[in-house]
Amino acid sequence: MTDVLIKVGFLALAALNGAIIFTIMDVKGASWMQRRPGPLHVGLRGFIFPVAEILKFVQKEDIIPTEVDRPVFKWAPAYVMVSCVALFAVVPMSPTLVVADIELGVFFALAISSLGTIGVLTAGWSSANKYSLMGGLRAAGQLIAYELPLILAVVGVVIQAETMSLVGIVEKQIEWGVPFVFGGQLIGFLIFMVAATAEMMRVPFDMPIGESELTMGFMTEYSGIRFLIFYISEYMNMFILCAIASTLFLGGYHVPLLPTEWVNFYGPVVLLTKTAILGFILVAIRWSQPRFREDQLQNLAWKILIPASLVNILVTAIMKVGF
Amino acid sequence: MEDFFNKIKESFTNTTLEFETINIKVDSIDWIDTHKKLKDGFNLKFFSWLSAVDWDNDVSVGEAPKESVSPNFEIITCLSDLANTNLITVSTKIDKSDPKIESLVEIYGGANWHEREAYEMFGINFENHPNLEKLYLPDGYEGNPMLKSFELISREVKPWPGEVDVEGMPEESGSDKSPDG
Amino acid sequence: MVNTLDPQNMNNFSEASVSIEIETEDMTLNIGPQHPSTHGVLRLVAKVDGEKVHDVKPVLGYMHRGYEKLAEVRSYPQITTLVNRIDWVAGFSNEIPFIAGAERLMEIEVPERAKHIRLILNEMARISSHFVFNGAYALEVGALTPIFYAMEDRERVLDLIESVTGGRFHPNFNRIGGVKPAAGAGPTSKKNIQDLPAGFYRDTKVAMEKVIKAADQFQNLIGGNEVFKKRTKNVGILTPEIAEAYGVSGPILRASGVKSDLRTHTDYLPYDQFDFEIPVGENGDCYDRWDVRVKEMVESAKIVLQAIDSMPSGPLQAKVPKVIKVPKGRTYVRAENPKGEMGYYIISDGGLGPYRLKVRTASFSNISILPIMLEGALLPDLIAIMGSLDFVLGDVDR
Repeated sequence: MTDVLIKVGFLALAALNGAIIFTIMDVKGASWMQRRPGPLHVGLRGFIFPVAEILKFVQKEDIIPTEVDRPVFKWAPAYVMVSCVALFAVVPMSPTLVVADIELGVFFALAISSLGTIGVLTAGWSSANKYSLMGGLRAAGQLIAYELPLILAVVGVVIQAETMSLVGIVEKQIEWGVPFVFGGQLIGFLIFMVAATAEMMRVPFDMPIGESELTMGFMTEYSGIRFLIFYISEYMNMFILCAIASTLFLGGYHVPLLPTEWVNFYGPVVLLTKTAILGFILVAIRWSQPRFREDQLQNLAWKILIPASLVNILVTAIMKVGF
Repeated sequence: MEDFFNKIKESFTNTTLEFETINIKVDSIDWIDTHKKLKDGFNLKFFSWLSAVDWDNDVSVGEAPKESVSPNFEIITCLSDLANTNLITVSTKIDKSDPKIESLVEIYGGANWHEREAYEMFGINFENHPNLEKLYLPDGYEGNPMLKSFELISREVKPWPGEVDVEGMPEESGSDKSPDG
Repeated sequence: MVNTLDPQNMNNFSEASVSIEIETEDMTLNIGPQHPSTHGVLRLVAKVDGEKVHDVKPVLGYMHRGYEKLAEVRSYPQITTLVNRIDWVAGFSNEIPFIAGAERLMEIEVPERAKHIRLILNEMARISSHFVFNGAYALEVGALTPIFYAMEDRERVLDLIESVTGGRFHPNFNRIGGVKPAAGAGPTSKKNIQDLPAGFYRDTKVAMEKVIKAADQFQNLIGGNEVFKKRTKNVGILTPEIAEAYGVSGPILRASGVKSDLRTHTDYLPYDQFDFEIPVGENGDCYDRWDVRVKEMVESAKIVLQAIDSMPSGPLQAKVPKVIKVPKGRTYVRAENPKGEMGYYIISDGGLGPYRLKVRTASFSNISILPIMLEGALLPDLIAIMGSLDFVLGDVDR
């Protein structure tokens, strides 16, 4: 029992830390690109800015409008966050430093990641606000559309690694000597990253929030700590999806030339570095791109990404069988 | 501008050019025909604005006209031409007791909002207007604010220029009292 | 309604079209008056079917301040303070046509130097207005960064306006017969009139070169962005015919391919002395409207640079009577403002104030095409189209 509690505690803590690191990165990246003095210079060179942000949300009143579906409205943020945290369970930080090395790790990750959709949809529906509803529906449409290319992009990796365990996938990459992104899965990696960006609902796929259109999308009616939970889980989701991407495509905790027996020590650092690099790319995209339109987003998913990932699977399979 | 003025004058007799603004005065019956003619014959396709003036001797705001006028509404439209930017104003006078005139929406789509504004501000009825309802004012608002008889309440409450609200110097206030005291 | 398939007709299956219609009800969506993209307090009552907009009804009046009524109880010099607040993004430009109208009725010849100063400040107001548009429009299509750059660059222009007039947004700098003695140029006495502040020419040159650079940056970073192009090209096309009938003017009209700029036709300011181009769009879509404004910024900067090079010397004010009474008469003066044609129809009865002042604002006519343009658009397009019209609520409601 204590074993489970420790594992859950570790998961929550790790995911939360990841989220905070990504928040700092996002805020500092934004202020660097936008020449904003606040998060760059004020207060320990801007590093306590996220703390101030969190404290601000915590002390604010948690307003629950009268017309909302109270229980659903109250629990939707928690639901979104839990599905994010659970996702982190299968990410290995070294061959042994993994909460749950499941045989079907990839399958678990993809299944859990689609659970968040329900949280977002219920948040939008229960808010009794038209903007929230539209945001929730947009989120649902978007997450369903991008779930497919996400899964199909991973299928290529699974074929190549011949296993669905995330540890197994990393071990395969060590065996190969090159991470999968350079070993024939470049297209898969790109599709995965695009689809993951859409899953995270970040620019240029942030229509569910789309503050210039839907004020704040499904989060419109939320305030105080519940809004904070949405806010944190957005970064958590970003952190974990980047971690999964670096595990699947970039070799995870492994880095060449370092002695493998010390992998328990440097493994988490290596993984975090790779994750942060991917995260920085997302930050750069977020602060330099406009937003797509809803139909353009759907076109991109169904007409480009899904066919491309199918071709990717085909090519991977042929290569696997033929050579 | 002179050339254009002369050209207009051939078609419309009651035309004046003062302060670089050409004005055609027409009867309210010819309102529609005039605009049709100006749009098709003189290529004045750009609808700039439409508004009204409340001519009245008895005013509750501002200054009354210096010379006595016969009370009526004057409706003015401004049309222009994009190619060589001729500008023209057309005006007509209508009776105050039954203020109504044909709507221009059929000819110039842009007249829609301007007529709605004149409707709520002056109470002029534009006949055959597709949706003649209030534009700016809230639904329950009574009265037509731009009428000269409509009081500007803030001015009633606090007349302008009003008293100078600077306190007098101590010596001055002392001097008001009797010199002996 | 679900069409049941007849099993006997299965042969025609390839030709049969499955028509499953779900009966949906349109949802009424209130956009505004409090909404991030309505530039203040415009309210749109939109009937939406999912993402599709069926019917849009703009509701105005949340910012109606009754300027036309207020002008009737004010004297001419007081009205300049009032009209400053109409389009607050380009406060200076609002004063110009009104002052020009009063001067025309009084038959005052304004000194050349005053005209040049007016022209410079007018163009600066245009630049600052277009900066705001640039930042805000990018924000509306979802790019969050450009507004910070636009605001920072605009600040430089506002600083210049402030150094001359003493006000950033509401300069109230024009006087009938000329301009107010400038702020910040040393002590003033009746003999020694203040002129432009020291270092103004140098600072202006620096700022205008920065404006040209910034416009170039906008062209590359926003205009060259594929997502931005996808969002704005062929979206919200406005034909010149509709634009003319609805009195749409300014950059929106020019984006539709009509080469119409009041600066070249009318003589309210000496624009004929300068050499500038009028940018014109081709398709009349959102991208063109954006593009025309960015190009206009460059042209404005060029005009300012030429104007400070050819600044004539002389007095700042013509001789005007102490109590300003405008003779009886009526006139309409219009000017090319950042948003489009702005004009004042002044009916004077020889008194201290006008008998009637009609204010023709650009944004009012410009957004009257919203119901036509938004018919059948998608909700994100609604925001993109609305933003591209670049209106200010003070300019709509007056």
